[in-house]
Order: sequence, then C-alpha cells, then structure tokens
Amino acid sequence: MENILLRNNISRLEEYFACGGYKPLKKALGLKPAEIIAEVKRSNLRGRGGAGFPAGLKWSFIPPGPDGQKYLVCNADEGEPGTFKDRELLRANPHALIEGMAIAAYAIGAAHGYIYIRGEFAAEAAHLNAAIAGARAKGFLGKNILGSGFNFELFVHRGAGAYICGEETALLESLEGFKGQPRLKPPFPALKGLFGSPTVINNVETLAAVPSIIDKGGDWYAALGTAKSGGTKLFSVSGPVARPGVYELPLGTAFSELLETHCGGMKPGKKLKAVIPGGSSTPVLTAAEAMALKLDYESLAAAGSMLGSGGVIMIDDSQCMVKLLQVLARFYHHESCGQCTPCREGCGWIEKVLNRLEEGGGTPGDIDLLYSVAEGMTGRTICALADAMAMPVMSFITKFRGEFEAHAAGKVCGK
Amino acid sequence: MPKLTIDGMNIEVPAGTTLLQAAQQLGIYIPRYCYHPKLSVAGNCRMCLVEIEKSPKLVTACSTEAAEGMAVSTAGEKVKKARRDVLEYLLINHPLDCPVCDQAGECGLQDYYMEHSLQKSRFAADDKVLRQKRRAVGPHLILDNERCILCTRCVRFCAEVTKTAELEVMERADHSFIDLKEGRALDNGYSLNIADLCPVGAFTSRDFRFKQRVWFLKKTPTICLGCATGCQIEAQHNRNAVYRLVPRPNAETNTWLCDYGRMTYKAVQAGDRLEKAMIRRGLIDIEPALREAATRLDEFKGAAAVLGSPWLSVEDNAALARLARESLKTAAYCFDHTAEQGIKDGILINKDPAPNTAGLKKVKAAAGGLSLEEFTALLAGGKVKVLVAEAKAYGLVKAAAAAAGVRLVIFALNRGDAPASAHALLPYASYFETPGTFINYQGLRRATAPAVEPPQGVKPLWAVVNKLASYSGAELHLDSPAAALKDINF
Amino acid sequence: MPYKLTDEFKEAAARICARYPRRDAALIPLLHELQKSRGFVAEEAMDELAKFLELPYARVKAAVTFYTMFNRAPAGKYHIQVCRNISCHMAGAPDLLGRLRARLSLKEGETTADGLFTLSSVECLGACGSAPVIQVNEEYFEDMTLEKLDALLEEMKHGRLKPPAL
Repeated sequence: MENILLRNNISRLEEYFACGGYKPLKKALGLKPAEIIAEVKRSNLRGRGGAGFPAGLKWSFIPPGPDGQKYLVCNADEGEPGTFKDRELLRANPHALIEGMAIAAYAIGAAHGYIYIRGEFAAEAAHLNAAIAGARAKGFLGKNILGSGFNFELFVHRGAGAYICGEETALLESLEGFKGQPRLKPPFPALKGLFGSPTVINNVETLAAVPSIIDKGGDWYAALGTAKSGGTKLFSVSGPVARPGVYELPLGTAFSELLETHCGGMKPGKKLKAVIPGGSSTPVLTAAEAMALKLDYESLAAAGSMLGSGGVIMIDDSQCMVKLLQVLARFYHHESCGQCTPCREGCGWIEKVLNRLEEGGGTPGDIDLLYSVAEGMTGRTICALADAMAMPVMSFITKFRGEFEAHAAGKVCGK
Repeated sequence: MPKLTIDGMNIEVPAGTTLLQAAQQLGIYIPRYCYHPKLSVAGNCRMCLVEIEKSPKLVTACSTEAAEGMAVSTAGEKVKKARRDVLEYLLINHPLDCPVCDQAGECGLQDYYMEHSLQKSRFAADDKVLRQKRRAVGPHLILDNERCILCTRCVRFCAEVTKTAELEVMERADHSFIDLKEGRALDNGYSLNIADLCPVGAFTSRDFRFKQRVWFLKKTPTICLGCATGCQIEAQHNRNAVYRLVPRPNAETNTWLCDYGRMTYKAVQAGDRLEKAMIRRGLIDIEPALREAATRLDEFKGAAAVLGSPWLSVEDNAALARLARESLKTAAYCFDHTAEQGIKDGILINKDPAPNTAGLKKVKAAAGGLSLEEFTALLAGGKVKVLVAEAKAYGLVKAAAAAAGVRLVIFALNRGDAPASAHALLPYASYFETPGTFINYQGLRRATAPAVEPPQGVKPLWAVVNKLASYSGAELHLDSPAAALKDINF
Repeated sequence: MPYKLTDEFKEAAARICARYPRRDAALIPLLHELQKSRGFVAEEAMDELAKFLELPYARVKAAVTFYTMFNRAPAGKYHIQVCRNISCHMAGAPDLLGRLRARLSLKEGETTADGLFTLSSVECLGACGSAPVIQVNEEYFEDMTLEKLDALLEEMKHGRLKPPAL
C-alpha cells in the first residue's frame, strides 16, 4: 500500500505541488460544499484525534448557507501519552494539512481557520508558518483562492502547556485567551464554538486525509479500511520494539502485523506483557488480547478498549504495572483543569493511593478503593479527562490485579 | 413549551428553562453549590446531577434545558450515589475546621452531608492538600483557601454583578485556589455579599468573625435605612444585640445588600449612642432634659422653628409636624426635602443618601409648611430663636442657623452626629428598636421591625415629642405610631 | 523604573492581535512574546499587558499560572525539561533525571547558582517513538542516552546548544 499521509520528500511546497498537491483544492472549489461533505461522509473518515467521530457528519452539523461567521480549527495539541503521529505529519507533510483545511473550510463556509498547536512544538509551529506563507504566496490561501471567490485566512496559534487543551472546548477557550477549561455541552461547537460562532474542530490527521479523499473519491478511501472504518491510520508505536515510530496502515490491519512486520518485534530479551492500544487514556490489554486483535474502531471497542489516537504503547514484562499506573496517575493529576469536583479531587486521591502502594505503605483495601474512586469519577464530569484517568486505573487493576496485590502485601519492586 | 415529568410529576415550562428551575417550580429542591439564580451557570460542583430516562450519563440539572418528553428522576439510587460521591470528593481536602469556622450551622457541606451522605471518609486525613488560611482580603472579608470548594460563585459575582473582576482561580487541578492581585483589597462596595454567596467558610465576614454562633441568632425582617433604595434586609440578633444584617432577596428592590448598608446596625450599638439626654454638653436624665427643652421653647414662643428629616420615619416626622402646629403654634416649619432619586452605581446604592425623602413628602402634603429655601432664609434672617430638628437634617441648614446663633434642640441617635453647640440633645429609639414607616425611591411603603430593645428609658421619637409638648401644656395624644399617622395620606 | 511594554512588543502585538476578531484572544501568544524577551513573565509585565488588552489583572494572572510553559521567575540560560511520562519512563527517563540531579546538584524546579541550568520534569512531549526525550529551551533532544546527555551538558557549559535538523 502506498502511503497517503506519510510520504517522503513532500514537505516543501515545490515537492508537494510536483506530486499533484493543491490539485484537489482546485477540484474542490469547483464543487458545491454539500457535495464535498457528502464525499467525506462516503469515505467513512472518522476523527483521528481520539474520539473517532465521523468527520463528514460533524461538518454537516454546521448551519449551511453563507450567512454569519464560521470557523475551522485544527487540533494539533497532541498531548495524549504515546501519541506522536501529528508531529511526524506536520514535519513530513504540512501541506496536506493546509490543503485539507482549505477544502474543509470551503465545505463548511469558514473564512478563518486556526491551527492550535501545542506550545512545546516550537519548531513545528515555525515550519508550519513557513509552509502557510508559501501556500499564501502561491494563492492557495488568502483572498479569492485560485480565482474562486472563496477567502480563507489560516493562522497558527501556539498553546502554552496544558494537555486539557486537546479537549475541543478547552481548546476553544484557550484560543479565545482564557484558561483551558472545557465548556458545558450542549451547546456543541457546531452551533456555538469559537467566539460564539459555528465551528468545526478536527485533528491534524483527519484534515490531512481530506485532499486525497477529494482527489480519489470517498469510496476509494473507505475501501482502504474496514466496512465501518475507512482509510488509513497513523499508528504511533513506542516501547521496547526494534523499530518504534509512526506507521501508516489501513484500518483493520492485524496488531500482530504492526508489531512483528512493521516494528520488527520486541527487542531481544523483552517479552510483551501488556499493550495500551490508543493512547494512555484507553483501557490496557494483555499481550494475548492484543495479539488477537485487528486495529480498527469496532474491533477495539469489542475488546473493551478503544482505537483512540492510535498511540500504541508496548509494555514488556520487566515493567511493573503499579509503577506505570503511578506514572499515568501523576500525569492526569497534573493535567486536570480543576473545574469540576470528581476530577479535581479524584485525580489527586488516586495518585496518593498509588504512591502508597508503590512505596510500600499500601493495604489490600487500597486496590478496591482505587477502583471505586475511579468509578466515581466516570461519567460525572464536564469533560472526559476524568474518564481518561479512570479507564487506565480500572483496566490495570482488572487485568493485572496480582501485581497490585503483591504491592499491597509489601512486595514492592523498587523501580 | 416543552412538557416533561420530574419524579413522576408533569410540568410544562417555557423553552430554555433548566431542569433545576423546572424542579423548583414543582417544589423539588435539587442540591447545588455553584448554581445561583443571579449568576451565570458554571456547572462545576456536580452536586445537581440528575437522571434522565434513556440517557446513559447523569446530567447537571442547572445547565440542562428541559426538552419535550424528558422523564427526569432526582431521587433514584443513581442520583443518591452521585451526591454521596460528590460530597466525599469535596470533603477529602476540606479541613476539619468546624469548631473554629463561622460558617458552622449555615454551611453547605455540613447541611448536604447530613441530608445526603453520612458516609465515613475513606481518605487519610494527613494527606490533605494544604492552602493558605486566614487571609484578610480587604476591609470586610477573610479568605480561607483550604475551605474553598472552588464553586466560583465569588469569581462570577465580581465579574458579573460588580463588574470589578478582582477574583480568579489560579493554577489548576487540586492546586487551584482563589486569589486576587497581591496588595490589592477586595473592596468593591458589595464584597460582603460574597460571604453570603460562599456556601462554606472560605469567605467569611471580618465584622462577624467569632462573634456569635449562627444557631443562636434570631431573625427579624426589616428595612435598610442606608439610602433611598431601602433594601429589604434581615437583622440577626441575640440577647438584645444585633450581630449582622443580611439581604432578603426580593423581586422589586434588591437581591444583594451593599457593604455600607450592612454596617448600619453598628451606630445603634456604638459607644457614642445617646442613652441619656444632654443639656449644654452635660449628661442629664431624659425627663429633666425634656422639661428644660420645653422651658426654652416656651421662652421663645413665636420664635421657634421645626425641621423635618428624610432620615426619620413618617410617624416621627408627622409627630414633629404636630409639635410645630399644635404645640409651638408656629408657621416656621419645613418638611421639604428634594434629592434626586435613583440607583447611581447600576447596582443598589442610591443617589439620595437619605432613606425617607419620599415619606417626608407625605408629611408635607398633610401639614404644609415652608420650602427648604424659605426655611433656610428664615433661619438666616435672625427671627428664629430656637430650632427643633433631627441631627442629620440639621446638617442641611447648619450654616444659616449657626450664623444666626439659633439655639438648638436636636434629636440624635449618636453623639457624633450632633452639633457640639446644641443646647439640648434628646435621644430617641432607632428603627432597629421601634417600627417606622419609610417610602423608598420606588414609592414602595415599608416598615422597619424592631429587633432589639432601646436603651433603658429611651423612647420612640413620636413619644418624646408627645412628652415635650405636654410639658408645654399641649396634649398631642401621640400614644402610638398609628396615632402619629392620623392625618397622613399614603 | 516602571516597567513599560517595548515598541518591538507593541509592533508584534499589533500583528498578532489582527489575527483574531477580539483583541483579548491574543493573550496567550502575547504572553509568549513577553516571555521571549525576559525569559519569564514578571508581575509588572502582567499588569501592563492587562492594561494593554483592557483585561482584568486577575484574568492575566490566572492564565499565566494555569499554563505550565510560563515562568513566574527567570529560568536558567538552559531550561532542561525531562519527559517523565510512560514511554520515556520505560526507556530510562528516571536515569536521565538522576544523572542531571547529581551532576547539576539540583532538584526539579531549581536553577544552578550561576544561572546556567534549570531542571524540570515535564509530561509527554509528543515524541514517544524516540524515547527518552528531553527538551532544552525550545529544542527537542531525542533518543537520549546517558552518554548523549553528558555530551550535551558539556556543550551547554560551553554555551552551545546544537539544534537537531528538521
């Protein structure tokens, strides 16, 4: 399969253009916006940031018609632990994103777009700004794009260090100059988003797939994947494998193929024990469960986890699951925005109990306590960060309870 | 207009009504911290979670709009468990301050815990997040960040009501804390409303600090006399002392109460409160003082004048009018006061600092009399030898009277209000001690209600006037407030 | 001397504010600009920025204290940030952190007396495939080993920070 997104020698505008880049934009500008939305719906493209919401459907929620201000926002806040595909994409193929945004903006009637990029990606932000300047100079952005009458201004907006800004309404708050505290939903951004106007927020990878969908058609894109999950996905693989990195594969690829064929298997002496399949917020799987899986939205959901961002974290049997959960708990605790009670207090509580268990002061009751506190946070908060903390806690305890019990009995591993 | 059911009861509400508001109309109270009817919706405390049939997750009633066909449950097991859990989360970092916290007895955590939880805490007490305590954040408030449950009512009050935006939540996660600019005071004229709003003892009143346990306080509904707005308030008192004033929210006049108004009870209990009379700077019992005053008035019969006051009740002004016309038999009296009425700061404080300008007009309508210009000119002209007036009203004619050397018989509550040169200072019962009728800037007639007893021997002004007149031989029959209001048409 | 926003800042601010329909949306980009010039966001700077954007001071301070990238006090010339999240942890981040603590005699959050180094541990930097990862100022250093770390420290002591090729 030839990669759509991660291709070599395509990061510069001349290279991108030489490979047929910005022709899909020209094609799109000759279509009606409704036709473009229909094509994206046909492609079965689902949000690649983690939530997996169908992109075409999301675009169709924007009130049609030319009236009023609308915005297109790209979520480049990539903060989900284990996920690093957007960074790769921004470095290797920034114009796919820019072109994708221009097409999406035309489809929803947005004249302004922002790429919200996490503050730590300073180099990538600079790279993007240069790419945008180049695209503007060639008339692919700005006023009257390619003589179509369509205007689209695109700006890069850097974040300042907050994982929560990857949540779409927290991102909007941050873009508007506030703390990144998620908003109550409804109303949803499609009706009331950036500066109160209808807004679409999509992940980098989602938008970058759009030019090829317009170029070769929604049906073509859908056929690359499975019945319900169209296209290819960028999998970020980290952990003790021979070749960690970002791999573009059709949805539905077997996990075993990702691990053995593409990543070259585990490093010598490392035996796979556990897999976090879609970024740290997704429930952990045992090695056996993972090896039996296909990588698509439905299969992972059926296995009790999620495809999420496709951030695959391989964990070998030299790792202590209690320690790793402690590392994750500290992360969610640090990143909680603090607005709502269960998350703000629950994250701190969970980290404190895990510290006890990890350092040797824990008791057997602590394991059920952890599970109960995590359960109490689930489904009761303004955004899903509480659930993102709860899912690892509950799944680690469920699948690797023995390690927790050993710690509670005093057998700490001192890692 | 969506139709829905809440706990099996049907209701139809206008579009946009939230489940919390709809439930309220049915008499169902949903517990809440961050929601307040006069502030924007925050939805962060999660206490108001309710169940909607066919919805997998609980939703916050304060922010969810009623929709056609919704079946809402506020009393099922899922909701009860959610409330217990939210309370547990709120209490894990909350300090065990009840024994030293002023909020005890009216505390949102105490109350909801007793009603919805009674669960033992599973959190180790020595693991609590520590924050700053006992911070004086202005002349009226003390902030204790450990007790704070981060409901953000205080932040929203400052942003939306006073529009001063002093407060914000700093940092994030459970390190979050309410803060304002270093070195800046939270002193926007309405800051004590924050102590009311704060569901817990995070923001407490400096004035009230450690003075009284709230369960001992009796509550008397009354009126604030700090300005012409005439906010409806409640005097809270015990054992004949007022401890604090709080607003009684109502649709016509006020939700809040300004800081100045809150402190108006202090004068009544201040050190310079007149409990005896004074003749020429010498303290003297009231009876001999009244006889002396009556003697002076008789001595200068024909050259006596009476000034009404927008700081006195209608009854007391009416009594002064009767004194002028029936006892002193003079035409030199004035119940005329004009001051622009209306809210001057967009919130509550009135352009007119006097509480009864409108009430005074009723007395003028009944009794007639000179205009304030005519009265002032008369005083300046030297024909008046003795003036009977209330202390604050005297301030309106001070220059003319002092220049002409007029002898003064002044009714005063506090010595500090009275001119030092007064011949006679007569005490009277304040409106925390006796009922009085006042008309505010909206033309609404309201009465104060007594919360405490006046000092021994101190009587309402109309009764003092009655006595004073009788010592001059005139029987005014001012036996009650109603008697004083005999000729007044409201 | 009372703090004043520089002309360069105001020029940059004009460009940045123009990207948004409301000036106050530029708050975070402008805070980045302020931090660029002095290495941290000072109290006076927050005051001036609040006036410049016609915002309450409390809102500016809330943003500065919410986001981790804004320094309230000057950081060292080289702000070494070690990722401590799961993939970097498994790849040896604790050892890198231990080495830095020992060689610089610092705990996380502290700066060396000569003002050269500040040490922090941070959360996921989004480069997990090349774990362990550290960030120094705005540059990423990936696939770190103790040897590479020692070499990098040497370079920094001599005032050089070699950027990776993009």
